Amino acid sequence: MEAFLDFWAAYGSTVTFSMVNAFFALSTYAVLSAGVLSFTTVTFAAVGGFLAANMVGNFGLSIYAAFFLSAVGGGLASAIVATLFLRLESHWMALASLALVLITRVVVLNAPGLTGGVYGKVVPMSISQLDLLILLVVVTFIFYRLHNSWYGLTARAVREDAAVASTIGISPFRTQFIAFIVSGIVGGLGGAAMAFTLQFISPETYFVGMAFTMLASTVLGGSFHWFGPIVGALIFTALPATMQAVVPAIEDVAKGIALVLIMVFLPRGLIDPRAVGLRRAAKLREEREKRAAGENANG
Amino acid sequence: MISRLNFKAAASALAFGIAAMSGPASADPEPGEYKIGFIAEETGPVASAGLSFLHGAELAIEHVNAEGFAGEGVTLRMEKKDSGSDAARSVQALTQFIADRNVIAAACCILSPVAGAMEPVATNAKIPLVLYGATRPGLPKLPYVTSIVVLPGPQEVKMTQMLAEKLQPKTVTYFVNADNDGFQGRFKAAQEVMEKAGIETGGVVNILSNDTDFTAGATQAIGTNPDLIMVWTTQTPAGGIIAALRNRGYTGPISASDVIAPAPMWDRIGEALVGVPFPVSFAAEIAETDEAKAFAEAYQAKYNAVPDNYASQGYTAIRYIAQGLKSLDGKPTREALAQAMAAITDIEPNVYGGLPMRDGQADVQKALIAAWTKEGKIAAWEGN
Amino acid sequence: MYLFVEQLVNGWAIGSLYALFGIGFGLVFSTLGILNAAHGTYASWAAIIGYYAVVWYGVPFPVAIVCGVFGGGIIAILVDQLGFQPLRSRRVGLLGAFITSIGFWIILDSLAGFATGQQSLAFPARSYPNALVEIGLIKVSQIQLTIIASLIVVTVGIHLLIQRSRIGAAMRAVGWNDLAAGLSGVNSRIVILLTAFLAGATSGLAGVLGGIATNNVHFSLGEGLMLKGFAAVVVGGFNDVRGTAIAGIMLGIIEVFVAQYISTAFRDGVTYTLLLGFLILRPRGLFGSASFVRA
Repeated sequence: MEAFLDFWAAYGSTVTFSMVNAFFALSTYAVLSAGVLSFTTVTFAAVGGFLAANMVGNFGLSIYAAFFLSAVGGGLASAIVATLFLRLESHWMALASLALVLITRVVVLNAPGLTGGVYGKVVPMSISQLDLLILLVVVTFIFYRLHNSWYGLTARAVREDAAVASTIGISPFRTQFIAFIVSGIVGGLGGAAMAFTLQFISPETYFVGMAFTMLASTVLGGSFHWFGPIVGALIFTALPATMQAVVPAIEDVAKGIALVLIMVFLPRGLIDPRAVGLRRAAKLREEREKRAAGENANG
Repeated sequence: MISRLNFKAAASALAFGIAAMSGPASADPEPGEYKIGFIAEETGPVASAGLSFLHGAELAIEHVNAEGFAGEGVTLRMEKKDSGSDAARSVQALTQFIADRNVIAAACCILSPVAGAMEPVATNAKIPLVLYGATRPGLPKLPYVTSIVVLPGPQEVKMTQMLAEKLQPKTVTYFVNADNDGFQGRFKAAQEVMEKAGIETGGVVNILSNDTDFTAGATQAIGTNPDLIMVWTTQTPAGGIIAALRNRGYTGPISASDVIAPAPMWDRIGEALVGVPFPVSFAAEIAETDEAKAFAEAYQAKYNAVPDNYASQGYTAIRYIAQGLKSLDGKPTREALAQAMAAITDIEPNVYGGLPMRDGQADVQKALIAAWTKEGKIAAWEGN
Repeated sequence: MYLFVEQLVNGWAIGSLYALFGIGFGLVFSTLGILNAAHGTYASWAAIIGYYAVVWYGVPFPVAIVCGVFGGGIIAILVDQLGFQPLRSRRVGLLGAFITSIGFWIILDSLAGFATGQQSLAFPARSYPNALVEIGLIKVSQIQLTIIASLIVVTVGIHLLIQRSRIGAAMRAVGWNDLAAGLSGVNSRIVILLTAFLAGATSGLAGVLGGIATNNVHFSLGEGLMLKGFAAVVVGGFNDVRGTAIAGIMLGIIEVFVAQYISTAFRDGVTYTLLLGFLILRPRGLFGSASFVRA
């Protein structure tokens, strides 16, 4: 028991950061699952994070109210972004979202009244691990319901082939717009979670590093099922800590190699419903053949 | 009759020479090995400074153990984790140290935003955390968070006054980091001194920490026809700016800050640095005290390099913790150590020729004004 | 007035670096369909290789550049063959290749840190021509002239290669539709290797020249070039190197003047807003063609 407590004390914060990163990964997954490669989660997170910091710091709101407002803020930001970006062809949208990440940092730097500018902003409250876990479970449950809903079906159709989807009466624009809103809300929540976890946020908190981390987490875990991003975030966050224990001198190199190897050998990520489906189908076929063989033998 | 305590002190005086002179009456902490969690920045944007801090700290651990400084049978061991200057990674490293019961204190942080994120973690966990590099004022929070960083301030003012008197410039043009509050502060302090002396501001060229190309900035500064150019920027830009100014044919006087003191800066920029004065709290070549000379020699022997002002701060951080530990008796706790460290008013020994602590913050009033010579050595600057 | 013209030339030289880098970055994107996050590290490594060629072997300036350029090209080929080639048969698209490139970015960036001892290095002052040349009434340094000339030569060279030669036609064909190109007899393997090499070499040239001109050979050198080079490619149009060259120069000049006459704080903001504006309002860039099927 004591060993477990020691382990938990040492790696508890890694678990906390994994949970925070899981929000970002889920936010990225939200748009990716509708066929949109976008880095705008960083922007939504920045909106949510600085909103939460201001609400708690300047207006004395409770942490729950701050989370709610961050979700609303992220959602509103995503509505604006979606309106602008969804007119673009997919590759251009990816680039435009990257440009938006760069601009986000410039804006944060130059709005010291709201963000503290280069000084960054102290967040005078922190979130307990349990609260964070509950929030993540709630968000995950929503993703689970979405996955199995009519919306989930249309999103997968749009992702596979938007043109075909539109011929059977699905509006790719509407589906992707909803995806963006979900992404914005979850991204805003994640931004607030990051603010309450680090208790100090600065322009560097929400920048390219975060964009790459969350996308890598999502794809690594698997971008075809809601469980993938959560697994990916856990692994991608725990990787540096693990590598530090194993190969301290070259932990970054090892992290990069791990990423490349997973992409080369498991390009669809660790959690892949198609692979599960294929395995199940193969098993069924095998059983059917066995049964058929048995019938033949009997007959 | 010799009491047991005095006997013990006498024995350790025999064994360790000078070490025991520092307080025969005090009891030592329980013998054993104590770990210090050192959050290093061996990779990342400021790793070049990070290595100096780390080397200084490693040397201090060696010295403390060899001297038996922290008490009889008390040895220190460094537990090191690299943060790459990332706030989240630093916090994770600190919580891992907190979980390890043998870690008695921690040291961290070059970047002020990272230090800002560490403060609540250390305070909540009640572990002494010594900041060794972050220069924003107001970071320490007694008793747990303390800083041995020599903050900018008096040295900058002293150098600026010297420049105003010796060079008698009419106009001064400034380079300053638009995105670094520390250098903004130094620039404003210098500008105030100059303007009080009736010296005009020719222009202010703002740059950003990640900038690398300064030909345009240099052209702009030279265009203001200044009698003196003061460079208040972080390390990488400072070198680039001075090189660019000289490349663009500016031959007038330039001044800079302690960021140009480390030896790799000379290897990189070379002759353009000659005669550029900068204020610095510690420079091995012009240090006068025995402690400083011994430190510089030992550092040279171990790393084959001249210790810079970052190495001296890394060294000081560990010595500070050891000094706190020494004053405890029985089984030391983190809380007791933090209280003991907070009560320290002078760090002894130190390489600065006096290092008072005020409200958990090192407070050095002495200032050296130095400059590189043609031979690539640092010498005191007299205002030639 | 002289100040204005001198700053114009300064901006032109800085912009030429962005453009040089951007040409390499754009080649990979338009021909191979890879958004390569590791591209910046090619420039860092080229500068590091050039630096050590000078410091260890004392090679003259042009040889150092050639070393860096070849180094950049070879690293680009290695990354392509190790990381991207296995993905080609699986059709993982833009996303899979992008994640792989992030992996290589982390690896190469970290190794570059070790290679430089985490320090910022600089080419020894006497190892390259850096005197001031007076042209009319303004002063330009030799290294700036070298950079400006390099961009012109590279742009003309690559433009002719792509538009006029057989291999260039093959590159365009692969960029448009690699499957169809393969069916009509284009050896896509050679096209891939050549493109990767050219891209790495061009960005490597930007890295070496940038490292020399700024006295700053650092593992993060490529990252700075990457952000600005990316903007140059988008604004100029992905499938035309002339567009990238002009857009890069333009961005350099705008940056210098925004910093001088408005504020440094807005400098990057102007660049990125321009970038976003082009992406939303005119995604094909200044000179790109409208039919950009496969990015």
